[in-house]
Amino acid sequence: MANAATIAQILMSGLLMGLIYALIAAGLSLIFGLMDVVNFAHGEFLMTAMYATFGLVVLLSLDPLVLSPIVAAIMFVVGAFCYRVIIVHAMRARTNVGMVQVFATFGLAIVIRGLAQFVFTPDYRSIPKSWLGGQTFSIFGVYMPAPQLAGALASLLAFGALWLLMKRTDFGKALEATREDAGAVGLVGIDRNRVFAMGWGLGAALVGLAGAILSIFYYIHPDVGGPFALIAYVTVALGGFGSVFGALAAGVIVGIVEAISATVLQPSMKAIGIYAVYLLVVFLRPRGLFGH
Amino acid sequence: MNTKITRREAGALVGAALTGAFVPGAARAQGRQIVIGGLYPLSGANAQIGVDAKHAYDTALDVINNKHDLDLPLAKTEGLPNLGGAKLAMTFADHQSDPQKGRAEAERLITQDKVVALIGTYQSAVANTASVSAERYSVPFLGADTSSPTLNKRGLKFFFRAAPHDEFFTQTMFDFFDEMKKKGKPVESIALFYEDTIFGADSTTVQRKLAKEKGIKIVADIKYRSNSPSLTAEVQQLKAANAQVLMPSSYTTDAILLMKTMAELGYKPPAIVAQDAGFSEQTLFNAIGAAGEGVMTRSTFSLDLGQKKPSVGKVNELFKARSGKDLNDLTARQFTAAMVMADAINRSKTGEPQAIRDALAATELPGDQTIMPWRRVKFDDTGQNNDCTPVLLQRRGDKYVTVFPAEYAVADVAWS
Repeated sequence: MANAATIAQILMSGLLMGLIYALIAAGLSLIFGLMDVVNFAHGEFLMTAMYATFGLVVLLSLDPLVLSPIVAAIMFVVGAFCYRVIIVHAMRARTNVGMVQVFATFGLAIVIRGLAQFVFTPDYRSIPKSWLGGQTFSIFGVYMPAPQLAGALASLLAFGALWLLMKRTDFGKALEATREDAGAVGLVGIDRNRVFAMGWGLGAALVGLAGAILSIFYYIHPDVGGPFALIAYVTVALGGFGSVFGALAAGVIVGIVEAISATVLQPSMKAIGIYAVYLLVVFLRPRGLFGH
Repeated sequence: MNTKITRREAGALVGAALTGAFVPGAARAQGRQIVIGGLYPLSGANAQIGVDAKHAYDTALDVINNKHDLDLPLAKTEGLPNLGGAKLAMTFADHQSDPQKGRAEAERLITQDKVVALIGTYQSAVANTASVSAERYSVPFLGADTSSPTLNKRGLKFFFRAAPHDEFFTQTMFDFFDEMKKKGKPVESIALFYEDTIFGADSTTVQRKLAKEKGIKIVADIKYRSNSPSLTAEVQQLKAANAQVLMPSSYTTDAILLMKTMAELGYKPPAIVAQDAGFSEQTLFNAIGAAGEGVMTRSTFSLDLGQKKPSVGKVNELFKARSGKDLNDLTARQFTAAMVMADAINRSKTGEPQAIRDALAATELPGDQTIMPWRRVKFDDTGQNNDCTPVLLQRRGDKYVTVFPAEYAVADVAWS
């Protein structure tokens, strides 16, 4: 069981899946860091992106990989729209703002899922043919499925682009400043509502990118977001609330811990490994690995 | 008093009309309506199962309530003759694949909607709780498409199952292995791969027992968490074990992920013999394409039975007109359950739960009056029908063909 190739395969699979988990968690972390709102509709954003990819593939007969920037752009609009139409009102609550936000995004999740089941039916969809679907590279007996490899690369690129955006652009500085003090930025002429809307758009675009690539190798279904969202919440908490790059490290940790615990423990108990690491971090470092 | 109907009252009226509680006088004069409850997952990961099940039951109600030239009970008459031509109706509740919701919905159907019997539930775990509720209210419960062998061994007086359970199914698989041994192709090792609820647990309990009896080595015994985002580590273990036959017990989502992950990791076992569920679904094969070729599954039904039973083809046409799909193992069992229940309600003469229970217990329906490859429907003391032979199907191109047992086979099995 424990020969070198098996161990290498476990680590490689964990790493690839972990980078995809990180990409899914990035948007959640960004939105939380910006405005302290946990988006409980994050899994549904992922699902929406997967259906958008599926629809575009059917409509335009292009490859999901080519379509991924378009899907990200669509999700940007969806995210900004959700902020402008729903979240902005939830944030105006006089009392119990946190609860109101939780219920608003939770309600949004139920609405999106219900709509998806109504419009797309609960049938399982999948993209039958794509450039990468079903392709696998093998190096010394270690298999790297092409779609997961693409997802991992896209994740690294997205985090790189996010880093440049945050550190090198005026928008990134406005984002950082709004995160530091949402009240004071108004004094220097930054429209915080605009920044928040952009933040939601960006967060949704990141999960949109993940959804486009995930749809190459995963089934598409109104409930597909659930298991991924749960892992995304753990990833964000583990990496440190609001630390986008903490989410990158945490995603990889979650992926590898999952792969190892599925092998060492019983596969039915692999989630225990993830939550055990999470609990350990919460006990020893409550703000998460990279939290401020 | 204000005579104008308010919006809320209008809504209530429309609601009442839609649920059939507000039957116009003319319709009421024609006779009563007998309502049975259907418990299915109508939302969540298994929602499509519920949607398809509704089509299957609507097809059965059409056959029962209208005249059809079919060799099935109650087909040639309109409604239930012994109850003055009363029409049979079904009302559905969504258990969301959750045993607790299933129990609550069963109670709601019995106490509020006053259903005289329950049918369901797809998942054995839900049937487990819902049938206990039915027992408490003395309302008969017919498990249409649940296959856990423990369900009928709980001493319940109101639980019935016309279809085989996993012991029958698994026995057929191992009978098939025996047959292959006689042909000089013995099965020496198997790998068990199963989801972590009652379905997976019960299915593999029997598989383990029979493998031991037949001296077949179990080289992997992997219980996995259902609806996992990834099955990579699980498939690596299967691959390392390298069994001659992979025997999965998985629902649709996991079956899709399993087959896709196997392809990605370059693992193709010499044979796959599946415990139905996800492997009976066309959506699985749409998702995995050519990788499905040669996959075998146990089943209670196959469309090619139509070559020997004309009613199979005709019922399939009725079903396809509603759902756009062919009948499969699940929808055929659901259709048959409704026919068995309707037959019992008709014989009960009163349509009361206790009388229906007694009529079910006295059921003796010949196999040629069903669309299944069964000898007959007759329940034993535990409520189980023991004369229902399962079949084994193998994937050829875009459909399943029956390959075992010989009396129903339409093609030879491809077995290396």
